[in-house]
Amino acid sequence: MGQGTPGGLNRQGLPGDRKPDGNDKKEKKFEPAAPPARVGRKQRKQKGPEAAARLPTVTPLTKCKLRLLKLDRIKDYLLMEEEFVTNQERLKPQEEKAEEDRSKVDDLRGSPMSVGNLEELIDENHAIVSSSVGPEYYVGILSFVDKDQLEPGCAILMHNKVLSVVGLLQDEVDPMVSVMKVEKAPLESYADIGGLDAQIQEIKEAVELPLTHPELYEDIGIRPPKGVILYGEPGTGKTLLAKAVANSTSATFLRVVGSELIQKYLGDGPKLVRELFRVADDLSPSIVFIDEIDAVGTKRYDAHSGGEREIQRTMLELLNQLDGFDSRGDVKVILATNRIESLDPALLRPGRIDRKIEFPLPDIKTRRRIFQIHTSRMTLADDVNLEEFVMTKDEFSGADIKAICTEAGLLALRERRMKVTHIDFKKAKEKVMFKKKEGVPEGLYM
Amino acid sequence: MAPQDPNTPSGIGKRDEESVKVPAKDPKKKDEKKDEDLSEEDLELKKNLELYVERVQDPNPALQRNALESMRQEIRTSTSSMTSVPKPLKYLRPHYGTLKAFYDTMADSDLKKYLADILSVLALTMSAEGERESLKYRLLGSEGDIGSWGHEYVRNLAGEISQEYAKRQSEEAPIDDLMELVQQIVAFHMKHNAEPEAVDLLMEVEDLDLLVEHVDKTNFKRTCLYLTSSARYLPGPDDTLVLDIAYLIYMKFEEYPNALQIALFLDNLQNVRQVFQSCDDLLRKKQFCYILARHGISFELDDEMVAEDDDREALQDIINNSKLSEGYLTLARDIEVMEAKTPEDIYKAHLLDGRASAGASVDSARQNLAATFVNAFVNAGFGQDKLMTVPSDASSGGNSGNWLFKNKEHGKTSAAASLGMILLWDVDSGLAQIDKYFHSNDNHVIAGALLGVGIVNCSIKNDCDPALALLGEYIDKEDPSIRIGAIMGLGIAYAGAQNEQIRSKLTPILNDAKAPLDVVAFTAISLGLIYVGSCNEEVAQAIIFALMDRSDSELGEPLARLIPLSLGLLYLGKQENVEATAEVSKTFNEKIRKHCDMTLLSCAYAGTGNVLKVQNLLGHCSQHLEKNETHQGPAVLGIAMIAMAEELGVEMAIRSLEHLLQYGEQNIRRAVPLALGLLCISNPKVNVMDTLSRLSHDTDSEVAMAAVISLGLLGAGTNNARIAGMLRNLSSYYYKDASLLFCVRIAQGLVHLGKGLLTLNPYHSDRFLLSPTALGGIITLMHACLDMKAIILGKYHYVLYFLILAMQPRMLLTVDENLKPLSVPVRVGQAVDVVGQAGRPKTITGFQTHSTPVLLAAGDRAELATEKYIPLSPILEGFVILKENPDYREDN
Repeated sequence: MGQGTPGGLNRQGLPGDRKPDGNDKKEKKFEPAAPPARVGRKQRKQKGPEAAARLPTVTPLTKCKLRLLKLDRIKDYLLMEEEFVTNQERLKPQEEKAEEDRSKVDDLRGSPMSVGNLEELIDENHAIVSSSVGPEYYVGILSFVDKDQLEPGCAILMHNKVLSVVGLLQDEVDPMVSVMKVEKAPLESYADIGGLDAQIQEIKEAVELPLTHPELYEDIGIRPPKGVILYGEPGTGKTLLAKAVANSTSATFLRVVGSELIQKYLGDGPKLVRELFRVADDLSPSIVFIDEIDAVGTKRYDAHSGGEREIQRTMLELLNQLDGFDSRGDVKVILATNRIESLDPALLRPGRIDRKIEFPLPDIKTRRRIFQIHTSRMTLADDVNLEEFVMTKDEFSGADIKAICTEAGLLALRERRMKVTHIDFKKAKEKVMFKKKEGVPEGLYM
Repeated sequence: MAPQDPNTPSGIGKRDEESVKVPAKDPKKKDEKKDEDLSEEDLELKKNLELYVERVQDPNPALQRNALESMRQEIRTSTSSMTSVPKPLKYLRPHYGTLKAFYDTMADSDLKKYLADILSVLALTMSAEGERESLKYRLLGSEGDIGSWGHEYVRNLAGEISQEYAKRQSEEAPIDDLMELVQQIVAFHMKHNAEPEAVDLLMEVEDLDLLVEHVDKTNFKRTCLYLTSSARYLPGPDDTLVLDIAYLIYMKFEEYPNALQIALFLDNLQNVRQVFQSCDDLLRKKQFCYILARHGISFELDDEMVAEDDDREALQDIINNSKLSEGYLTLARDIEVMEAKTPEDIYKAHLLDGRASAGASVDSARQNLAATFVNAFVNAGFGQDKLMTVPSDASSGGNSGNWLFKNKEHGKTSAAASLGMILLWDVDSGLAQIDKYFHSNDNHVIAGALLGVGIVNCSIKNDCDPALALLGEYIDKEDPSIRIGAIMGLGIAYAGAQNEQIRSKLTPILNDAKAPLDVVAFTAISLGLIYVGSCNEEVAQAIIFALMDRSDSELGEPLARLIPLSLGLLYLGKQENVEATAEVSKTFNEKIRKHCDMTLLSCAYAGTGNVLKVQNLLGHCSQHLEKNETHQGPAVLGIAMIAMAEELGVEMAIRSLEHLLQYGEQNIRRAVPLALGLLCISNPKVNVMDTLSRLSHDTDSEVAMAAVISLGLLGAGTNNARIAGMLRNLSSYYYKDASLLFCVRIAQGLVHLGKGLLTLNPYHSDRFLLSPTALGGIITLMHACLDMKAIILGKYHYVLYFLILAMQPRMLLTVDENLKPLSVPVRVGQAVDVVGQAGRPKTITGFQTHSTPVLLAAGDRAELATEKYIPLSPILEGFVILKENPDYREDN
């Protein structure tokens, strides 16, 4: 209990909470400001203002009366807090005072402020800073800057003339990571997937249920799986399924392509992975989807070039994030690849990736279903007999079927027909299969 | 796998998706499409079910029966995933209405009951919210085995029963048929490891007694654990009811130590006796005595409980704590901290740069007084130190006798009393060593010696009552300091003893109009501590009269605040019993009325977690006072006292206190650090530490002082390096301010309390039991700290010795059957909340293996790492007797 809250409370040391005591002030000489509670490395789990508002965790997770009572207790306390605060605000509105203080602080800060880098903390009130251009300066730190949060290397705001430190930039989420967040849910839902019933069920059990119903797992007494890997032939719907998960879940969904993790500079790749998981943890519950994991996750071997070594280091960081020393809370991982055999065994061991979900080529029933999905919005001529394509012995993937349908549509379009005929489909199929089999026309060896 | 609850999002998702799948224009087409969607088996199943539904409506009974039978088969055998509704139920959805209609037309028969059963199951997913059709049909149906329809069905039924029960209660309708069903469901749950659900259902229908029949050897522990942890959050009187049931179950399975704990929690001495009487194993009784001794209540064994005289004496010895000193020293020797420490070892001034060492200009009397306290706290109970107990002919020039005289006037009282602290719990040698001060001609020294005698005897009982014999004659002396020494000594030595003899000696002082206020105040506190939590009418009357007699100006004095507190101590944790006295307190002098009201309220509900009272106190804190009223300080402390009962309350109270800090006036802000210190006493939580560290630099010096003392309490007896570092920095920061420096020194002494072997936490036994005397001692100090300048920095600094009441070794000492220390390997780690978890979950995490005796930090739990012995108490804290395991086999 209480993990992750250290330092949460000391953020409230706003300048406004000390009563200026008129008489006292005149007599008092200047005193050095109180030293910060801690200098140097700042607390790792500083999560902005919400950290203070974090509530204690409630065990057990199972739905039962005890849990209800405990949650009620927390609610009671929160209601009391609310009552107290509204009472106080009514008696002695702080808004105005806070507003006044804020405008004073803004005056002191000046405008515009320049952005710089904190190089070194000298003592409680001085630091060496640098801006992106030009030399380094020895400047003062204004007293209202939260010194607990300053650490060498962090981004700070500086006064435009005297360059003193007037604030620090909180948000240091790598912009690379923030683009990974899926803001708009994709349109594909589970209903758009033909077949794959077992796969849908598995991924639901492994990824969605642990986030929505953790108590089911506690009931049985097991830990929910951490992640799954989707593998199978190209075009069998791995990415589609991930999209459907993103569509249906209310958890934060982060998507990355394996190749994005490979960066130009040494150490950037692992750093990106760390950032990614940190953001995922901050925004938890969340789902991280890494497509084409074979870009970074191939087996380790004696690397010859620095680039290869860097890729391997990126993977090692990934290994650590998946099941390393720090436990990940509500972060689930979905990996997708079509070359599972080339992945590093350490990546796939249980505990990191607990479930391996295979995506086979569609069987006849599924094929029929996929044809239905793709043709449901097409206008078909009466003579179209999809069964013929469904029953063929050729190996179609889901993507092939989609290609056939599109191709058939295009053929009809070329001849300015309003309906797609059986012939179109036949031609389309030949064309697709021709392309797929690399130039060997279909039926040549039959 | 249990069918998915139909109300959960994923279940709905599945169903929705069924209808959204194909955007169709007319319903007919939709149906067609839907059929196409189904696989062949599904289609067949659906057809079959439709056929059954038709056949059920057939007039031929044989056919009907057949159809019902097959329908039942289908439903039962259907396996389903977690994420969707079972298929047969899904396909029967459209027919639910027809079946219901048909049921109503049916004539009474077996078949009708059969159909009712099926309807009951179908209602699981189909009946509208609040209809409770599942229950309705269940009651109409055949009374077959309830579990055969699966877990989810039973769970749903239980939910509907509790709703129905509430409804019938309000209508006063009979509930017999419901109870029959409850019986079945409870039996089913208990058999299937779902104890919480069974308990929940019984709580809903207010019939927990049923539980006793259904528990068995395998599940009673989990059940009782659930009951006891629920009790903390239930409103009264349900909580005592639940605990009574837990007590009965523990007694039934002869799990006496747990039963004893519940009896102690309820403060029910009748049950304690019962535990003693029903157990006939002497060794286990010894273990009970250790539990009683740790709790710190006085308890007399009689021959009904223990037949043999010799045995009884041995057991009573354990309750009287006569072996506490020995055990403590064993621990100290094992950990190798016997070497005495000087205050300088604690200050570690060499770690600071320049500034502090230059600050020797502070008045040295106060420095020496601080050193006296630090020395006493650090070497508490070890029987040796480097200031007070060094033989007087030592080569260093007789430092010892002189240390006493390095203190001025009242400082000598504390110095002499510190000898008692160093010899804590060791009555024989303690009295011998203190004796020499009785012959002094300095009244302050004699007062200190008297106090010292009281301290040595703290929580130890002796048949010849040396403390009473020695101190009794001094309480009526002329000199007020001697009187205070004697009275306070009695209060500490006999806290919780409810000794009639002392009462008859002390009450006259209260009624003596000529007695000075400080004597009266300390008399009241001593009586309060001796009768802590007893609701004793006569003492209460005496204190009330004393309060009424005092003049206006006297009530304005700082020490006057101790008198209402003593009244509060009488009702510590006694909840409603306080009301009569609270009424009386309304007639008090206006100056003290509200103060008294707050103190009584906070004491009476201390350790209950009662949110309504917290709300009341917060309400008082939100007023802005015009005049110099003092009642908000006790109110803030009261919030902490009430909320400290359980972990959630502690966390949430810390949040609330943060608001008080932001909005409150000075007198509230002064109390907040103390409240934080009380909430996390001897439990250095990082967030609280940070808050206090910030407050210790506050511009208001009293807030800063309170924060510094609270930092000491927060880390009391933990040797916490971080707090020690903070305090070191503070000592250099405040090197010019004598008062604050004094506070910093005291805090440093507290952090190294007993060289890190002691704790001040009044909660023990897995944070379940609250020792009333310990809490009494702590809050007395807290109230004194509300006016730091007048009391602790004035001439009453010896109130710091009230902390002794809360001092206990934070150890696990295992002893063999002859009560000799026995070293065994134990695992010590962070305790995990295992309530309501399935299987046998790990109770500790991140453990290390040590061999006993070991220290237990706050939130730690220990378990035996060997199977060679069986502990006689399930909670490994303090003294634990180990028995050899007869089934143990050495493996080679």
